[in-house]
Amino acid sequence: MTAYVLRRLAQLVPVLFIASIGIFAMIYAVPGGPVGIMLGENANQAEIDALVHDLGLDRPIAIQYFDWLGSAVTGDFGVSLHSREPVIKLIGERLPATLQLAAVATLIAVLLGIPVALASALHPGSWLDRMLSGWSALALGVPTFWLGILLILLFAVELRWLPSASRYVPLWEDPLEALRHLIMPAATLGVYVSGVLARFLRASLVSQLGADYVRTARSKGLSRGRIVRVHVMRNALLPFITVIGLMMATFIGGAVVTEAVFTYPGLGRMLIQAISTRDYPLIQGCIIVMLVIYVAINLTVDVLYAYVDPRIEYS
Amino acid sequence: MRGGARILRELVRRKGALLSLAFLAVLVLLAVFAVALGFDPVKQNILHSLEAPSRAYWFGTDELGRDILSRVVYGARTSLMTAGGAVVLAGVIGVPMGLVAGFFGGWRDAVLMRAVDVLLALPAILFALALIAVFGRSQGAAMLAVGITGIPGFARIVRAQVLSLRQRDFVVAVEAFGGSSGYSMFRTILPNSWNQILVQVVVLCSIAILLEAALAFLGVGVPPPTPSWGEMLRTGKSYLHEAPYYAILPGLALTLTILSFDTIGRSLTAILENEDAAVTRAEGVAS
Repeated sequence: MTAYVLRRLAQLVPVLFIASIGIFAMIYAVPGGPVGIMLGENANQAEIDALVHDLGLDRPIAIQYFDWLGSAVTGDFGVSLHSREPVIKLIGERLPATLQLAAVATLIAVLLGIPVALASALHPGSWLDRMLSGWSALALGVPTFWLGILLILLFAVELRWLPSASRYVPLWEDPLEALRHLIMPAATLGVYVSGVLARFLRASLVSQLGADYVRTARSKGLSRGRIVRVHVMRNALLPFITVIGLMMATFIGGAVVTEAVFTYPGLGRMLIQAISTRDYPLIQGCIIVMLVIYVAINLTVDVLYAYVDPRIEYS
Repeated sequence: MRGGARILRELVRRKGALLSLAFLAVLVLLAVFAVALGFDPVKQNILHSLEAPSRAYWFGTDELGRDILSRVVYGARTSLMTAGGAVVLAGVIGVPMGLVAGFFGGWRDAVLMRAVDVLLALPAILFALALIAVFGRSQGAAMLAVGITGIPGFARIVRAQVLSLRQRDFVVAVEAFGGSSGYSMFRTILPNSWNQILVQVVVLCSIAILLEAALAFLGVGVPPPTPSWGEMLRTGKSYLHEAPYYAILPGLALTLTILSFDTIGRSLTAILENEDAAVTRAEGVAS
């Protein structure tokens, strides 16, 4: 098991290495390079030379890269060009908001997705199944930003129940106020993710329901409900764990867009703002943090899967 | 393509797929003949800004008094062209990658599939945003960003297809008769993979249109004044009180387009699965 975890970690090294080179190179690929970004177009040669020397840009590129990587690994992504504050501090301020959104959205996705998958898998081909698979197609096909706008139109503009722009209120400080601000963004993101969840889980459940052990359990006289709860659900959820990793990519994309719809002050919105103000250290920092979270969750999922399913061979 | 006409017949027999095909056909016709049909997405009429849908303006007008229906039609052009370009780009790179990786195996397979893994390991939108941060926002950048994220899909599907076809008698026969690798790959294996590639094209179209619209909505996609659905939703969001239809109608066009591609993609998958099962049964009987 330890060897398996270590090998999965080792497989990640090339991915992260190549990604880090790409993220590092970003700033050099921009017209004008790092100096042009910091000084603008009207700088004179003396200013440029001084800055090049100060930033160490006259050193070999490989040394600059490892220097940058060394700092990045310790959480030092430099200083935001816009606010002049350390990037890691800015990220630290926004990250809790995004994590809170993601947590509530996951809860909504699970609460919606599992019953939908169960109901349609237990009656394959019925009108209920057709309706529910239509629903998951809708959840996947309706763009999150349009769904978000429709929710704002209904609940903020027409009914005036909820705020149209969401603030970040920590759940433990004021749960009610936090939910008022969180429920629309979380539902928008959650509905989308529940579509992915329902589709995979339904397929997984249908294949399990046809398995021999189900027939055996049935012939032993076990009730259908008990078979589903105790036997099928367990086996169907297993392959499903791997989907969670895949879902994370949709989740990150969805979060960036959802935060933009509701002007929710999370990491994704900060990244978009950083792109529009061409704040490269901040862009790099946001992308690295999101990527690391994404990779870490995928790794955890893989290891968890190997742990709960004894049939997986670690070799 | 193996049984293209038959697949099309199967497709139009399914109600959902038929409706989707019809919707997309109308959309493409409108986009192609937009000029001839007299749609004008840039003509401003400030006196008629933010007007509700009426007989003169079926979809209403935007904040500059431009006809929203015209902008939705031209937005279809932007969407379909960006997504189409992205899919072609992804296919032109991804298909040969999959062919070479599957056919030769060994180090070529290892190197190419590792590259695909790296691409797959990055959430598409993060990759697209990073690319746009470097190149600035333009239609080309959006197309490139969406296209590159589509490469793994093609490479993987074609590779899997090659691995299964290589063992088949007709491919082995070509090699036995001294056919070159290129001949085997492009004249023997590729023609038998078109069905799977077609499904991937349809699936990727819906993903590409969604991603393109998301980038435009975030304000980093195809830059104005080119009309695009994502950009219209972005601006429309500022006028939810005065003109709710401004954000509703372009969003509806976008959603129906995505759902249509998704429906056709799923129908195609089902049809091909049935067909494969039939082929396997037939071969089982023959042997």
